[in-house]
Amino acid sequence: MDRRVVITAASAITPVGNSKQKIVHSLQNGVSGVLPLRRDDLLADYLHCRVFGTVQEPIEYGFERKYRKTMGPVSYYACHVVGQLLEQSGLSREFVSSGRMGVAFGSTHGSPSVQRHIYKALYHQEKGVPGSLGAVDYLKSMVHTTAVNITKMFEITGRVICSSTACTTSSQSIGYGYEMVKYGMQDAMVCGGADEYDTTTVAVFDNLLACSTAYNDRPGQTPRPFDADRDGLVVAEGAGAVLLEEYEAARKRGAPILGEVIGFSCNNNGGDLIFPNLDGITRTIQLGLESAGIGPEAMDFISAHATGTKMGDVIEARAIEQVYGNSPMVTGLKGYTGHTMASCGVIETIMTLYMMEKGFVAPTLHLENIDSRCTGIGHVTQLTEKEVNVASVQNFAFGGVNTSLVLKAPAL
Amino acid sequence: MSSSRQDIEAEIYRIFREQFEIEDPGPDEDLREVHGFDSIDAIELLMEIEKLFQVEMDQETKKEALSYIRTINGICDYIEQVLPDADARVSEAVNR
Repeated sequence: MDRRVVITAASAITPVGNSKQKIVHSLQNGVSGVLPLRRDDLLADYLHCRVFGTVQEPIEYGFERKYRKTMGPVSYYACHVVGQLLEQSGLSREFVSSGRMGVAFGSTHGSPSVQRHIYKALYHQEKGVPGSLGAVDYLKSMVHTTAVNITKMFEITGRVICSSTACTTSSQSIGYGYEMVKYGMQDAMVCGGADEYDTTTVAVFDNLLACSTAYNDRPGQTPRPFDADRDGLVVAEGAGAVLLEEYEAARKRGAPILGEVIGFSCNNNGGDLIFPNLDGITRTIQLGLESAGIGPEAMDFISAHATGTKMGDVIEARAIEQVYGNSPMVTGLKGYTGHTMASCGVIETIMTLYMMEKGFVAPTLHLENIDSRCTGIGHVTQLTEKEVNVASVQNFAFGGVNTSLVLKAPAL
Repeated sequence: MSSSRQDIEAEIYRIFREQFEIEDPGPDEDLREVHGFDSIDAIELLMEIEKLFQVEMDQETKKEALSYIRTINGICDYIEQVLPDADARVSEAVNR
């Protein structure tokens, strides 16, 4: 049973705004969400990278204690975007709790700030201090904490998928959610990802010499995907959720259709866990097109993973060129937000949907001087009016995991 | 009611107010039914009691305690039962 799968609601928390209006404004006006790294009592002073993609709009949560008690900051983000999503959707409580709707949601670590508290308690000098480790610390920090706090708060009783594959976490969430609905396992899926403000992730990439360090005094000028002067990625925080529904059911209930997921691919490089792999990425893109049943000529726009690292951007540009040539428009949206880690796939999907709806393509922010090794593809360097009918969202993660989502505008 | 029992009760009410955001539950009200006080809360409460009385309960005592954590009165009864010097400890805690 193959069914059509449409996106009927979307919600995000990003460094460049949380509402559709604010995000669109940021994309159309070249607004960066990167700020100086906040000081903390652990790592910030020891890092070479001193910038972070930071959520700046205040959020009023209003969660009751019965929910808060098992939530770390990452789950606050997750539940907030899903709360907005379900409100937007107009789905009945009966359906939400019917078992026909599931959740595919993840984060990179669970909650690193809660994990930090746990480690402090475990390695505390005064052993045996009662109560230093809370009963709920595990529930707040475990790797599937976002997914199950969502199920608890909104009484969702269907399947739970919790991918936790770093930068492909939420693109996998959408892809696996899509397959759940397409093949009739569920009628709807809440899909997304979240990551909270966390300096340990910065330390990870800092140690691997992958972080941007040359723009510490000019945070708003980095990361610079595909630019000759790029010097690495910028870790960021954020969250996003999309609601996937079976097309006929969505149409019958009159749900607004923001886009259709028409293809998904996921593969592994089968080798190195860190370095990008041209063959692996090229194959992912091809598999995505095969899954969608379209040729490369049908693609209008590609949201590139493009983190702003020296090697990653080159390999991705080469893979895009091999499959598509220079026909589709290509933007690296992380120029605006930084790398929102587990949420980047869903945030970039939502930004792509917004651009589809509004009829424009945002340029890659800070792409002023295209690296000669990244040429041959359709870089977008200025705000462009464009009807995008078919788009792809590409994401690649540590561990050699690659994904490609193929989206179609609702009018087609 | 003895003054020490009153002190224990006052401290338990304070914990409910500050830690669990439950304002003045009736002494015999079913905490789970009326206030949604669940098993996770009960374990957190035991940790708060350990902190308050500066004791460390063993696993068996804690397991047994869970069956008493139904009402405020039940909790106070249990504290008096397992901590014979609870009155001294609570006045110490109040003066800390």
